[in-house]
Amino acid sequence: MSSRESRPRAGGAGEGEPSIVFRWDLDKTYLRTEFESLRKLVLIPFEAATEKVHLPGVPQLMGGLRRAALARGDRPFVFFLSASPPQIGAEIRKKLALDGIEYDGIVFKDQLRNLVRGRFRSMREQVGYKLGELLRGRRDGPRAREVLFGDDWESDPVIYSLYADVLAGRLGGDRLGSLLDRLGVERDAIRRVDGIARELAGDGPADDVVRIYINLERRTPPGRFKPFGPRLVPAFNYFQTALSLYEVGVLDAVGLGEVARALHERGWSGERLRNSLDDLVRRRHLSPGTADRAILVLHRDGQDLQSASERTLGARAVSAMLRLRRRMARSQPAPPETEPVDWEALVDHWVAHRSG
Amino acid sequence: MPRIAVDAMGGDFAPDEVVKGVAKVSLESGIEVVLVGDSARIQALLDEGPYDPELISVRHCASAIGMADDPHEALRGKRDASIAVAARMVADGEADALVTAGNTGAAVLCAARNFKLIRGVRRAALASVYPRETELPGQDVFGLLLDVGATIRCEAAELAQFAIMGSAYARRVSRQPSPRVGLLNMGREEGKGGDVLVEAHRMMRALPSIHFVGNVEGSDVATGRADVVVAEGLLGNVVLKLLEGIGEAASHLASQAAHDSWRVRLGMAMLAPGIEKVRDMTDFGTYGGAPILGFEHLCIKAHGRSSARAIANAVKVAAKAVRDRVADEIAEAVAGIR
Repeated sequence: MSSRESRPRAGGAGEGEPSIVFRWDLDKTYLRTEFESLRKLVLIPFEAATEKVHLPGVPQLMGGLRRAALARGDRPFVFFLSASPPQIGAEIRKKLALDGIEYDGIVFKDQLRNLVRGRFRSMREQVGYKLGELLRGRRDGPRAREVLFGDDWESDPVIYSLYADVLAGRLGGDRLGSLLDRLGVERDAIRRVDGIARELAGDGPADDVVRIYINLERRTPPGRFKPFGPRLVPAFNYFQTALSLYEVGVLDAVGLGEVARALHERGWSGERLRNSLDDLVRRRHLSPGTADRAILVLHRDGQDLQSASERTLGARAVSAMLRLRRRMARSQPAPPETEPVDWEALVDHWVAHRSG
Repeated sequence: MPRIAVDAMGGDFAPDEVVKGVAKVSLESGIEVVLVGDSARIQALLDEGPYDPELISVRHCASAIGMADDPHEALRGKRDASIAVAARMVADGEADALVTAGNTGAAVLCAARNFKLIRGVRRAALASVYPRETELPGQDVFGLLLDVGATIRCEAAELAQFAIMGSAYARRVSRQPSPRVGLLNMGREEGKGGDVLVEAHRMMRALPSIHFVGNVEGSDVATGRADVVVAEGLLGNVVLKLLEGIGEAASHLASQAAHDSWRVRLGMAMLAPGIEKVRDMTDFGTYGGAPILGFEHLCIKAHGRSSARAIANAVKVAAKAVRDRVADEIAEAVAGIR
C-alpha cells in the first residue's frame, strides 16, 4: 500500500518526445538517514527538513542530470520511491525544495494502513512493494530510457534489476512469479506485479534501463554485485556515479565538474577523487579512455586529479602514460553492455545472504 | 595523512592477506595506501570484502620476488618486482614509507639501493620486535632487537649508532620517553665480549641521548631489563630465530603431550583462556612489523607469515613512524654525537 504524489509540470512529455526518467530511492540514496538503531529510527519522523542531510554531491548530480538532459533535447523526469511512511512526506518535500530539486512524483509506503490492517509482513516486505510501484510508475508515466538509483541497505539491486528485465521482456509470467515467491513476496503482491507486467508487455519489450546505481552506504563488497551484470554499478560515492553517467552520455562535463566540486568542498581531496576514479576503472565500470577524458575535463575546470606519481613524473611523462593507457585500453575487450542475469542462481544467493 | 607503499606480492600469504590487511586499514584509519603488485589480482581480492577505495590506489607491476629467491639474483632479473617498484616510489616521493612482508634480503637490498642513509649513519640496521616480560610500569610488551641481519659483523661505532636509532624509534613508536638500551653480550660485566663489544659498551655509556643499562645476557633478552637490545647482525639473527624456535617447539611439545594424554588435554582446556590471553598479548600481528633503521625513508618489514591483521598493524606502525618523524629524530640524535 502506498501514498503517491504526482506533480504535473508544464510541458509534460508529449507523444514521441524524447525523454529520460530518473528514479531515486530516498533513504541512504538521497538522504543520509540513520536507522541503524531503534533510537535513531524513532527520531526520523520528528526531524525537520533543515535537519535532514543529503549525501555529498547528490543535489549537484540531480541538477547536472536535468541540465544535460535539457541540453540534449530530452525531457527529464524525476521520481522518488521510498519505503518510508507518508507521515514524513511534508518534511521530505521541504528538504527537496531547500536543495532545489525539481521532481515529478514521490511515493511513500503507507505503513500506518498496513499496521491498522494487521499486515505486518507487508510492513517489512520491500520487493513486492517497490517492484509494483516501479511498474505502475512506468505504466502511468513516460515510456523513456531510465536510470535508477538505490543503495545496498535492503533489496534495491534485486528490485531494480528485476524491473529492468521485466521491461526488457526477459522476465515475466510464471518465471517472474516463481522468483518473487522465492524472494518472500506475498501472493496478492505477486498477482499485482504480474498484472502490471502483462499490461506493459503488451507494448512490446523495451530495454530501457540504462544503468542501475547502488550507493554502497554499507560498504558491501562490490564483488557481490557481479551476478547482476555490468548494467548495475556499485558506487562508493557520487563522484563514481557521476563518472559512469558521464561515460554513458547522460551527464555532461559541467555536471561531472559540479559533483566533483561538491565533494571537494565537503573534504574530499583530489587524490581521494582520483583513487575513486581509478577504482571504477579497475572494476571495469569505467573505460580508461573516459577516465583520462574526465581527468582532463576536470583539470580544465581547475580541479586537479593527478595522482602522486603523475605529479612527480611531470607533464611530459603523464602525457606518455596517458597515451600508453589509451593503447592498453584499445587492446582490452570492452565489457558487454548487457549480460543475461542468471536469475534463479542470483535469487538463491540473494535469499541466502540478504541482510535487509 | 601519510601515504604508505605496500608490497602486495610479498609474504607467505600474499597477495590475499596483504590486500585484506590494507582493506581493513582503509576502513579503520585515514591512512592512504598504494598497493604495489598485480592489479587484476589485487582488485579481485578487494572486490571480495569491504574497503574504502578513496584511500587505496594500485600500482601495477607484473613480477614479484619469492620468499626463497636469492635477493641479489632476483632483483637483477626482476627490476619491476613489486618490492623494487614500491621502494622506488618511496625514494621518488610518491609514498612516505614502505611496508613489506616479503623476502627480507630483498627488502634490505631494495632499501639500501633506493634510500639514502641518514647523514652520519654508517650502516642501516634491521630491527625486530619480540614478546617479552615487562618489569616496569609503562613498558611495552614487545622489545626491540637490532640488528637482526642487515649486517654480519659491526664496528663499535656502528653498534653505538644502532643504540641511538633503536632508542629513537622506541621513544616515538612505543611511546617510552626513555627506553632502556642494552648491549647483547656474554656477560653483564663491561669487560666481556672482546674488543668491539668492550669499545661499544664504552661508547654507549658515554651517549647522553640514550638510557644505557649496560650489557644484557641472553637470559635478559626476554625480560624487561632492556627495551632495546643492540647486537651485531649475526648474533641478533641467531637470537631472534632461537626465540621463534623455542616458541614453536614449546607449542609443538604441548600439542604432542595433549595428544598423548587426556589429563594434559583436560589441563590445557582449563588453561585455554589464559593461554589465549598470553597469545593475544604476544602475537607479532599486534605489532605488525619492525623497521629497517638508518635510512632517510622508512621500511617496515612485516613477518613473512603475516595475517591481514599483522599487515594492517604494520601499515599503522609505518604511518605512525612517518607522522612522528622517526627518521628526523634519528638524524638529530646522530648529529648530536658527531
